[in-house]
Amino acid sequence: MKKLVIIPAYNEQASIKKTVQDIRDNAPEFDYVVINDCSTDDTLKVCVENGINVLKLPINLGIGGAVQSGYLYAYRNGYDVAVQFDGDGQHSAKYLENMAAAIEENDADMVIGSRFIENKGFQSSFMRRVGIKHFNVLIKMLTGKVVTDPTSGMRMVNRDIIKLFSEDYPKDYPEPESVVQIITMGKKVVEIPVIMNERTEGVSSISPLKSIYYMIKVTIAMVIARIRG
Amino acid sequence: MTIRLQIVIGVILVSFMLIIVNMIRKKKFDLRYALSWLTMLVVALILDIFPRIVFGLAHVIGIDIPSNMVFFVGLILAIIMIFTIAVSVSRMSNRVKKLTQELALLQKELDEIKGNK
Repeated sequence: MKKLVIIPAYNEQASIKKTVQDIRDNAPEFDYVVINDCSTDDTLKVCVENGINVLKLPINLGIGGAVQSGYLYAYRNGYDVAVQFDGDGQHSAKYLENMAAAIEENDADMVIGSRFIENKGFQSSFMRRVGIKHFNVLIKMLTGKVVTDPTSGMRMVNRDIIKLFSEDYPKDYPEPESVVQIITMGKKVVEIPVIMNERTEGVSSISPLKSIYYMIKVTIAMVIARIRG
Repeated sequence: MTIRLQIVIGVILVSFMLIIVNMIRKKKFDLRYALSWLTMLVVALILDIFPRIVFGLAHVIGIDIPSNMVFFVGLILAIIMIFTIAVSVSRMSNRVKKLTQELALLQKELDEIKGNK
């Protein structure tokens, strides 16, 4: 089975090398590809100098477009399984094998690495958790399913969903919306517990000022994803 | 409406039209996108020359003051044009995204071929 780790990276020069090393050490069965989303720092230089497999976007597309490039790469290169993995050191590669096992055992279409099953490790800030709670309730209302960590950026999907995402993926803040999208299509989503770290370098893509916009946009997008059917 | 005002408006409309035609001539503005602007200007010019049409129309829809009718129609047209542009920007951005992704994948294959030589 061919497995790919998709690592979207925008200005992650300080942590990208460590992230890739983590995958090489702790998930050796996985190939990886870094999507350099037209970083303005030395991310690309670090990748090239260290022989890191990198896809160079000539224009900054934002997180959705960058991750989608990874799914397109996975689809064209015949991968059976692909997993999103943050380039900033928040995710640990040791869970990747478990996630792949969970896909096979449950015959699942998507496996989400969730912080909120065992509630261990970095639990995000209070305001973030309020936002996540809102999404939990909304997903339950829209789909009847329980997803404990819909904003998790650590998600593994099978070939069906790789194809789907390579054709159609939200542009910004894609995680909760795409979860609703695939559950609505009758796909199976499973969660397994993971522990995430607080980011060590760089800044989050969601600043406090943007969070209101984020909540409104994602809420509407989720409702529309449900209506779209 | 005084004849003076009609002339002023007419001059503005015709100059605008000439600017657009000149831009089309120099290929700075696609005829496809300029067409709606030209049509609008022609309609405005007709109304400027025959203002009775405006008075008549205002009377028919029940607007008492003809100038309000002009503002109303102008606003509706402006909204339609802005909306059309928003839709086309959205479509453009999807196309740019797709091209960017294909370009990145091709670039990668090219790098690999060159690297293997």
